[in-house]
Amino acid sequence: MVLEVEEINRVVKATILPEEASLSNAEAFKEEMITLIGRGVRLVIVSFENVNYIDSSFLGSLVVALKYAMPRNVDIYLVALKPDVKNLLTLIRMDKVFKIFNDYEEAMGTLS
Amino acid sequence: MKEDLDRITIVFNSNREGIPGTLNLCLDHIRQKTGGSPLHEDLMAKIKWVIMELLTNAVKHSGQRETVLKIVRTTEAIILEKEDYGKPLVLVGQDKKKIMWPLEEMVRPVDFPIYHNGMDSLCVRTDESGRAIFFIEELAELEMPALLSDTSEHFGLLIMTKASDEFAYEHEPETGLNRFISTFYFTNPLP
Repeated sequence: MVLEVEEINRVVKATILPEEASLSNAEAFKEEMITLIGRGVRLVIVSFENVNYIDSSFLGSLVVALKYAMPRNVDIYLVALKPDVKNLLTLIRMDKVFKIFNDYEEAMGTLS
Repeated sequence: MKEDLDRITIVFNSNREGIPGTLNLCLDHIRQKTGGSPLHEDLMAKIKWVIMELLTNAVKHSGQRETVLKIVRTTEAIILEKEDYGKPLVLVGQDKKKIMWPLEEMVRPVDFPIYHNGMDSLCVRTDESGRAIFFIEELAELEMPALLSDTSEHFGLLIMTKASDEFAYEHEPETGLNRFISTFYFTNPLP
């Protein structure tokens, strides 16, 4: 299991458990995200609080999850990214397609 | 003058479970060798991303049990080289055309756009020797549709190209050797 999931009113906080978000868990992450999105939630807040580094395989899974979510009107927010992880997302412009917040509370504060 | 200060060769067994340990081995070596004048943390982060992607690339694409990673430190730069005797590089361009090594004489030299995300276009230029040099052309477009339409074997190449000061690929047809080379120049060369 890659994600620890907590759901309140169709909003899911999905915390990535491993410190390394990489080839070894990218496929499992993608499947768990698709399962979550498919069960009718409206928002998945993915917390990177445990993640020390991320690779291109995991980033690819993140984009697949977003592509699956968009036509289903499900949002994906990213929170609690450590500087290295955030800088890598920014390097390949993924900060332009994901909403990124400092922490879970800040992300929740944007909901009406 | 460029002078090798040290070099280390690490044999990686091309299995994904070995990536974190090999990555840490490489980073520890670099930290140890640059202890007197530590590299800036931004540069260390870029080196880490590239090593990670080189190792991931080895697991996903080389088809070989062994990959050799070399770390060379000169007075001017840190150079990372990944070598294997696996399948040569094949790139699929934006127009779905393939470019593969060894290159036919007729296609070189050539510029070849392989991926764009709306802001960056990842391109490769081959020279007369068949060496491929990756580079980025920044696009004026500010929307990001391409990132979502292409999920992408190209993220790894994009990361390595953008993080490195120079990123290149070489193939030796006589021996079958493939080599990716990532170079990080020091802002101030070492004395």
